[in-house]
Amino acid sequence: MLCLIPVVGSAREHLQVFVTTPYLELHTGPGRGYPVFNVVAREDSVLVLFRRTDWFKVRTQRGVEGWASQRDMLKTVLADGSPFTFDLGDRAGFTSHNFEIGMFAGEWGGATLISTYGSYSFNSQLALEVAGGQYLGKFTNGEMLDIGLTHVVMPEWRLSPFLMIGTGILHIEPKATLVQPSVRTEETAYVGAGLRFYLTRRFFLRAEFKSHYIFTNLNQNQRADEWKGGFAFFF
Amino acid sequence: MERRIRVLLLTVAVAALSGCATVSGWFHHRQDARDEQAQAREDARRAEQSPDDDTTPRVVDPQVERRKIRVPKIRSANIELGVNYGALSVEDFGTNPSYGVTAAYHITEDFFFQGEYGRTKAGRTSFETLGGNIQLLTPPERHFTYYDLSLGYNFLPGEAFLGRGLALSSAFYVLGGIGATDFAGDKKFTVNFGAGYRVLPSDWLAVHITVQDRAFQSSLLGTTKLTNNIEMRIGTTVFF
Repeated sequence: MLCLIPVVGSAREHLQVFVTTPYLELHTGPGRGYPVFNVVAREDSVLVLFRRTDWFKVRTQRGVEGWASQRDMLKTVLADGSPFTFDLGDRAGFTSHNFEIGMFAGEWGGATLISTYGSYSFNSQLALEVAGGQYLGKFTNGEMLDIGLTHVVMPEWRLSPFLMIGTGILHIEPKATLVQPSVRTEETAYVGAGLRFYLTRRFFLRAEFKSHYIFTNLNQNQRADEWKGGFAFFF
Repeated sequence: MERRIRVLLLTVAVAALSGCATVSGWFHHRQDARDEQAQAREDARRAEQSPDDDTTPRVVDPQVERRKIRVPKIRSANIELGVNYGALSVEDFGTNPSYGVTAAYHITEDFFFQGEYGRTKAGRTSFETLGGNIQLLTPPERHFTYYDLSLGYNFLPGEAFLGRGLALSSAFYVLGGIGATDFAGDKKFTVNFGAGYRVLPSDWLAVHITVQDRAFQSSLLGTTKLTNNIEMRIGTTVFF
């Protein structure tokens, strides 16, 4: 009978899920320590309003709103009886996910480097990656922006290697103490390789090496090596 | 002696023949097993075909269509964007108003990743104040700009109570990270760490009070030293 109740739609359409366990606990906040203030009985439904980290804000049929944990929501079903599935942020997510963001510290051509990156995965092996960074050296500072492709060789391995290729721009600012400082922007290309290691939940460690070729107006192109390590997360 | 060798050879020959018989039997056994599998596949194929070939009329012809569930996308509200205003003490250059923006992504209920950008204008050092007309830095060089990336940890999540009927979720958090500071015509590698308090008047709005220190090596005043630049700020953020 419950399956025939239409999804109550406000301005936005929300998913209706049904409780199959004896009860579903609703917490006052999105965290394990927040007290349980309401329960939803078996076979009753809730509307899933939105999600924050591992918690779902839900509204009961009586209009009570509260937070249900990801673990409890896994045991609910859709109106057709199929299980309610969603991205869990676990080891399987490490193998296959949509987005990654991370931060690094390292070395760029001998200078201190701070860097961040974001990537979008087309599948478990191939991703489009954008990385931005800044190196702070003794004689020059520089900013760089890279865009390229990353190929994860064995995505299902906990410690998995990957290869990178791409292009970018490099903005070099010589320090004012030099006699003739000239600010310049150059195009670059890079190849690289690295390792990623799954830690827990949505986190992983990532270390990589990139070899940059800087296309200058000088007689010969320059080369700079980039080593960096840091952490990243996927979602 | 010769007889013994003959007995030995005969024993070996008998053993080998019986071994061949076993192997030959094993091959037969495999053949039987293959025949059985083929028969099972044939039976299964026939069983699959049988409903189509069934010519007996049905008493009730079911007209039930399976209900299709359209699963709407569940909105995630993990991104937090905001602005802040406060006071930043630039070491040796006095405390001045500061303003900035933050962008955070909440990874789990415990951890968040945050990017910060802010600026202030450094004042005069006591050396400049006492020395009269001395100017250590030009006005553009007094702009103090920082940007960094930090990892935060909500270490005391809880609720704040406003009167009898209102409970707001809140959390104390600590954060730390790396970045750069642009000050006095130079950019410096900067380490930051701090702590803050966040309270959420609604699911999408938060108010923050944060104290954060940014430390970098500076040799502006003759000797190279680690400078600590502490900022206290109040901000508001919106969850998306």
